[in-house]
Order: sequence, then structure tokens, then C-alpha cells
Amino acid sequence: MAQLHRVRLTVNGREYEREVEPRMTLVDFLRHELGLTGTHVGCEHGVCGACTIIKNGQAVRACLMLAVQADGAELRTVEGLAGADGLHPVQQAFIEKHGLQCGFCTPGFLMSTVELLEGTTSPGEEQIREAIGGNICRCTGYQSILESVELAAQKMRAGQGS
Amino acid sequence: MTNAIPTSFDALPTTQRRFIGREVDRIEDRSLVTGHAPFIDNFTLPDMLHCAILRSPHPHARIVGIDTSRAEALPGVAAVLTGEDMQRWCNPTATAPEGWGPYSLAVGKARFVGEPVAAVAATSRYIAEDACELIDVEYELLPPVADATTALDLATPLLFEENGSNLIVGRNFVWGDVEGVFAAADRVFNAKFRWNRVGANPTETFGCVCQWDLIEDRLTCHGSYQTPSFMGLGRAHVLRLPANRINIVSHPQGGGFGGKGGPRGTDIASLLSRKSGGRPVKYIEDRVEYLLAGGGQSWDRYYEAWLAVRADGTVTGLRVQLLDDQGAGAEGYGTISVAKPLAAFTGCYRIEAAEYDVKVVCTNRAPSYPYRGYGPPPHNLVLESMMDLAARELGVDPAEFRRRNYIRPEQFPYTIPSGNEYDSGNYEATLDKALELAGYAELRAQQQRARAEGRLVGIGIASTIEPGVFDWNAYATVGVPGVGVPEGISIGINLLGEITARVGFNLQGQGQYTVVAQLLADWFGVEMGAVRVVYTDTDHAPPHFGQGGSRLGVSISGAALGACQRITVKLRRAASVLLQAPFEQVELMDGVLRVKDMPQAQIPLAQVVGAMLARSDLLPEGMQPDASATSVWTAPGRTAPDEMGRCKSYLTAANACHVVLVEVDADTGKTEILKYVIADDCGTRLNPSNVEGMIQGGVAQGVGAALLEQYVYTDEAQPLVSTFMDYLVPTINEVPMTQKAALVTPSPFAPLGAKGCGEGAIHTTPAVLIAAINDALSPLGVQVRETPASPHRVWSLIRSARGDRASV
Repeated sequence: MAQLHRVRLTVNGREYEREVEPRMTLVDFLRHELGLTGTHVGCEHGVCGACTIIKNGQAVRACLMLAVQADGAELRTVEGLAGADGLHPVQQAFIEKHGLQCGFCTPGFLMSTVELLEGTTSPGEEQIREAIGGNICRCTGYQSILESVELAAQKMRAGQGS
Repeated sequence: MTNAIPTSFDALPTTQRRFIGREVDRIEDRSLVTGHAPFIDNFTLPDMLHCAILRSPHPHARIVGIDTSRAEALPGVAAVLTGEDMQRWCNPTATAPEGWGPYSLAVGKARFVGEPVAAVAATSRYIAEDACELIDVEYELLPPVADATTALDLATPLLFEENGSNLIVGRNFVWGDVEGVFAAADRVFNAKFRWNRVGANPTETFGCVCQWDLIEDRLTCHGSYQTPSFMGLGRAHVLRLPANRINIVSHPQGGGFGGKGGPRGTDIASLLSRKSGGRPVKYIEDRVEYLLAGGGQSWDRYYEAWLAVRADGTVTGLRVQLLDDQGAGAEGYGTISVAKPLAAFTGCYRIEAAEYDVKVVCTNRAPSYPYRGYGPPPHNLVLESMMDLAARELGVDPAEFRRRNYIRPEQFPYTIPSGNEYDSGNYEATLDKALELAGYAELRAQQQRARAEGRLVGIGIASTIEPGVFDWNAYATVGVPGVGVPEGISIGINLLGEITARVGFNLQGQGQYTVVAQLLADWFGVEMGAVRVVYTDTDHAPPHFGQGGSRLGVSISGAALGACQRITVKLRRAASVLLQAPFEQVELMDGVLRVKDMPQAQIPLAQVVGAMLARSDLLPEGMQPDASATSVWTAPGRTAPDEMGRCKSYLTAANACHVVLVEVDADTGKTEILKYVIADDCGTRLNPSNVEGMIQGGVAQGVGAALLEQYVYTDEAQPLVSTFMDYLVPTINEVPMTQKAALVTPSPFAPLGAKGCGEGAIHTTPAVLIAAINDALSPLGVQVRETPASPHRVWSLIRSARGDRASV
């Protein structure tokens, strides 16, 4: 067995520390070592976007990184979206606009959307397409996802105003 | 006592329908948007091992020897499985015509790149994959059969030597006086087509966790199983266990669309569990494995077609020759996709005679499996392209040409030459709706202006049938053992009036749990939140089939209505005692049991059930304290196929018309979709948002098949596609945002008048996109007859056309 390396990082505000092989991917680390299985694995080569998480404020593919590369990072995953007050507005919008069918790709879409809407409050359609253009959904045909992101933006604007 | 299952909303015991037929939030979604849904890779068992599979790098090779000793010596490895174990413990699969099914690991020889040759169970997937690299396999290479067109040549090697040929199925179906109509035709049109292999590619690949209980000789398989009872029966045959000792536990699936390669993976994980002393073994297929050898590759086809047309534009005959490449055997029910077009062979048209000449062959490509639509999408491309070819040659507008040939509303139910009966429809209304929504006249004007500027702009129109609610007889013509497709539900009401419904299928994305909740909430007059829909495994579930064949929404509604009727009889009997009224006078309406014409004489449902379950002294003599019922639905009136395969197979015939505007870039061959409209008539819509989702999702997959996706093989049968960088699944930037209109011609035969709609637009989108591209290219005198119409393929056509002109 290869030498183990210590990885210390924060996920959804909680600190974790584990010893892992250097070859372990970040998504396997989240799922297998930390039990955070909401981040899904669709292709393991960076195309489908199912494993999208937010690392230090930026959406990244957790299948294309090694866990050791995330040492010291601050990560956010789908498990961190809903809180004591209920679902995140992005989650709520995806439900209301039927932005999902099987739901396997959904955590990745949600995290891409969260990154977008935390950076801009009123994205145009082109910005939305740009933000989620790296996420594959095989069920919906994207129309309801586009509407979900637009509704999510509205909800977040309304939330900021209140 | 059996009551007829209602075919309209009017028969529901409610004066104010609140849920069914309306847009509601799905009850499935909270677990999905929070990442809590128990997809199979999120599931673990104590002491679980992980499986990795060693696959053949050769398309056709004899296995001379396998040395597993180095792998077995690796720390963490618990078991290694090879073809020898298969021969000792297993039968070949029974999902293929007899003699054409392989073992789950190669025995004797490998027949395609990616075929499992050996497998390892170890304490982690990482170690299992390390161990696979330590297995030494000695191969003797055999010449491959690379393409269907050479599969039947005498000099071609055989995949299954004992069968003496690579021909799996050869059949010639003749329906009506084909020779007569072609002889009498004023014009006969002819063209050849090539549909290249595409596939399902759900975002979740297949996975399972299997545990062989060596004490009780039982097997439990958790997995992303689409049709759990079928999986159980198949495993019983392959693994030589009684079917009632196998428990199939289906988990929510990250999409399905047909095959997920479940049988082989399940057999391998199960046998590794058996070999490692009964420890649970997880196998999660990765994307490369899925793309090389997974269960979703479909429709590798060569077609030639002829259309007989009278001078007045009446189409009288259709002949189709199909050479279908199943790949390395027919393990995945792939032959059925050749037979399914019989359910709608002549599409929307009054074509009186037809012929279907079929040759299904095997090659050293990966085996073919079901994929959404299951055969008709390529067939529809051929039929609709032939209609366009005839219209263009006759100088008739393609919309008008179709209009002349549609089956008319008063002709339903209508039996087509290939035997199936269409339940209802109004195809002209669907066409008109689509033309209106598209602004067809203006589109033609726009096209004229664009052409005057030298731009390649085209309009496509396609009219198709979606056969819905498939049944056992649909595949009785292609040598596959027929198994029935019942769908059951068990519904119970507790003494607080809350309802639990147990079904035998898990989530896959179509939203059937929501439909059940909508229906039960309206039937019993409760909120949707008072209804829970619960998955039950094959040890506990009523007879079931699950998703597949555009049928589950209809069939689970039929089952639910049957159970509701039975429970209602029980409630009325109990209420007749409580209300002291004759049974015949007591009815359920809006959540209360009441005496007809006596508004004050009523009791809420919950009180009746409470009395039934808590106060035996109040029950009528002999009545059991039971407010539950199980009901199993299957389509009425199905018939056995005759010698030409004719039968009533699919219960419903939905109809759609798509109209699109595209522009082809003459310099790059790239197609841009400028406008896309859809008129769709799938009868009653039980949940309009679900239906729209099915349609739009089908558009996306149709765009992929028409423009992007292809499993590419070399002349040596080596696959060139193994990642999503090679297999191009559409993103948001390739899929058009469509305008949709709903028409409703209810089915007179199906529960609530709803028609199967789950396969949606994939029946239509490839045909309409190719039609539009061909319309754009028509001034150049070239036509696309091969899918996908990739930029390179279209650019080559344009270049050949211009080259031809330049050389004149």
C-alpha cells in the first residue's frame, strides 16, 4: 500500500481530517471517507458534471481532483444547501419547475447554479447556459432546468430584499 | 366482482378533482434535490467487498489460459472469478433466442472488446482494479466480424460456431397484397439508409450489491434495477436457484432508458459473493465500462425501403428491408427492437399493404440492448424520409402529402397491416396545431428569403405514432421467451385515514409515484401528503414489471383504480352498517361515505376505516377488519400473434407532429436548430408536467441520435468510443427549447384515457431533424441518409454536391 497522506479540510462548515492514499480522488474521499454521498459520480473524466462541488468559492469537478490536492480547502456540497429553515431557494426552484427527473445529475446542477447566483443576481440566459453548459442531464432536455435557474434567481433576489 | 376500470376522470368519486390531471410538485423530489436518495452506490453493507472486472481487449479471441495466482496473492483480494466458475455453476443467459446467449463471463472465447473475462472481489475498488492488472490471460486472436454487411458471407468467421451461421433471426413478414399494390403503383420510390449505433447513457451507470447466503442458499441483489421481477427470473435461470430464493431490491435509478447491463454485473457480483464465503459484493460499472460494454447500445442498422404511390398522392405500399447488427449475441433482449416496429409499421398512414424483410445478425461489436423507443425511432426515420422523398418528387408540400394519407378520425379503432390496433387519434388536428404553432406559411417565406441569400435553410415535418403500453406478445415473433407484464399495487388505509401504496418498482425519473399519489388523493378525498408510495422488493411486492414500453403510468393507474374500487366496496359495506342504509345506497364521494340523496347522512372516510379497524363490534357479520386491497392490471384484449406476427400488442397509440426550422452552415456542415414546435396527443394527461418532461427529454435524446451520438468501430471491430469526449451527449447548448401544444384524444380502452408517453419525442425528433436538413440540402441535390448528421458527414455531402456541379 502506498504511503498515506494527511488531508485536513472543511466541508459545509465542518472540519474533517483523514489519512488517505495519494491516488484517492476527491469525490471518492467525500463519498467513501466522509460518507457525503450526495455528490454523485457520472463519468469520472470531467465531462458530465454530476460531481460538481464548490471549492473555495469556485465550482469544480470532484472527480478530476485528488483528495490530497484539496488539503486545507473549504468545500461545499449538496448536503450543505438545505438548512434549519428548509430547502435552499435553488432546490425549491428545481422542484417547482420540474428541473429534474431521475435526479442523479441534480446535485451537480444545483452546485453550478449556486456558484452562478452567488456571483450574479440577475443572470441572462447566456450566462445561465454558460454556467450549466458543463453539466449533462439525460432526462429533462434542459428546458425545465433553464426555467428552474431563472426561478431560483428570482427567489434569491426576493430573499436578499427581505 | 370486477368493475370496469374507468377510462375517464368522470368516474372518479369526486366532484372537485384537485390533483390527477393537474400540475403538482412531485413527491419524489425532496430526497433528490438534497442528495439523500439511496442510489445504489450510496448503499453499503457491513464487511462489503468491491468488484472490478477484467475485460477483453480483443473483439474476437480464443482464451487459451487464465492465470489468476498473482491476483489472488494480492493483500485485500477475497475472490477471483473466471469462465471456469461459469461452466461449473451457471447457465448462459435466457434473454436471447436459444443458442445466442453468452455466459456472464467469457467461456472459451471472447466475442467483443469489453466482454468480461475475469473478475475480482477485494476490500476496495482500488485494490480490485490493481488485482485485475495481475491476471494473466493468454489469447489466441481470431478474425473479427466487424460489420453486419459481411456477417453472412460464407468466408466470415462464426461467433457461435455451433449455430453454423451468424444469422440470429431471419424473417419475411408480408401483410396484404404487397406485390399487387406495387404493381399497380404509378410511382415507386426507393432509398437506402444507415442508422449508426447509439445508446442510452443514463447519468448513473449500472450498479449492484449482491450477497449469497450460503446457509439458506438464498441470494439478495440490491441494484439499479429497472424490471425487478424479470431480473429475479433471469438470475434464477443463470445462477440455478429457485426464483423465490432470490430477492431483488431495486434502488432509485439515475435514469434508465432501457438497459443498464444489469444481468452480467449482477451474476458476477453474486458469484463473487458465493466464492468469498457469502460476503456482500458491490459492483459499480464505470463510464468507460458502460460505453464499451454496457447495456444501452442499440440500433445498428442498414435499411432499404420502397414506397408505392398512386398518381393522386395516395401511398399504398411500404416495403422495408432491415439488416440489424446485434453485436456479439442477443443477450439484451435486443432482437425485440426489430419486432417492435410491427406495432406501428405504417405510422400515421392508411397504407394498405406492407412487407418487412428482417435479417438480425451477430458481429464482434458489443451486444445490443433496449434503448428508449426500442426500435421505432430508426424505422420512423425511414418511413418519414420516404414520405418526404415521395412528396418532393411529386411536387407536393410535405404537410399536405401527409394530410392526404392520414388515418381519419372516424376510422378508429384502426387495425394496421402489421396487425396492431390503434385506439384513437386525430392526426390532422395534430398536424394543423403544429403548423399553426410554427407559423408554417411564414417559415416557408423565411426559407425562400434565406435561399435567395444562398443560405441552406430547411423545414422538417414529421408525424409519428408512439405505441404505448407494451405487452408480452410484442416480442413473441423474434424468438425470445415471452413473459407477461402485469403491474400490481397494494393499497391500505390506516385507522387515521392515511394511505400507503406499495409498488414493485423504484424511482427512475418519470414521476409515477406522484401519479399514484395524485390518483389516490382524489379518489379518497385526502391531501397528497396523506398518501405515501412505498417501494417493496420482490420478496414482498405484488406481481409487477416496472418501467418499460411506455406503459407504467397507464398500468399503475389501472392497478391503483382496481385497488381503489375494491377498497371502496369494503368501505361502503362498513358504512352501510354505520349509516344504517342499504349497501346499494351508500357511496364514496369527496372523502366521505354518504347515503345517496341524503346529504346529512355521511361519515368521513377516516371514521369508517377507524371503525373497521378498531371496533369489531360495529362490523357487519363476516367482514374482515381490512381497508386494503391488492390489484394487478394488465392490458385488456391482447391477442397471440399469427404466422405473420400480427396481433394486438400495444394498447395505446399516441401521436405527435413536430415541425422544425434548421440552418446548415455550408462551410462547416453544422446544423443549427432555429425553431422547434411540437403538437402531441397522448390522450388524457395524468400529470401534464411529467408528460412535458418526457417529451422534452425525448427531444434531447433525439437530437443526440440525429446530430451527435455514434458508437464508432474500426474495420477490425475495435471501439473508438470509450468516454464522453468521444460519445457526444447533448448539453443545454445543443438542445432546442421547444414550443409545445397538447391535444387530447382520450384512449377508449386505457385507464383514465391516458396513453403511453414515456418514450416521448425520440420517436419523432431524429426523423424531423433529418427531414429539415434534407429540405435545406435539397437545392444541392443531395440528401442525408445516414445518422448522425454530424458536421463532417453533412459537409462531405455538400462538398460532393458542389464538386459534382463544378465538374459538369
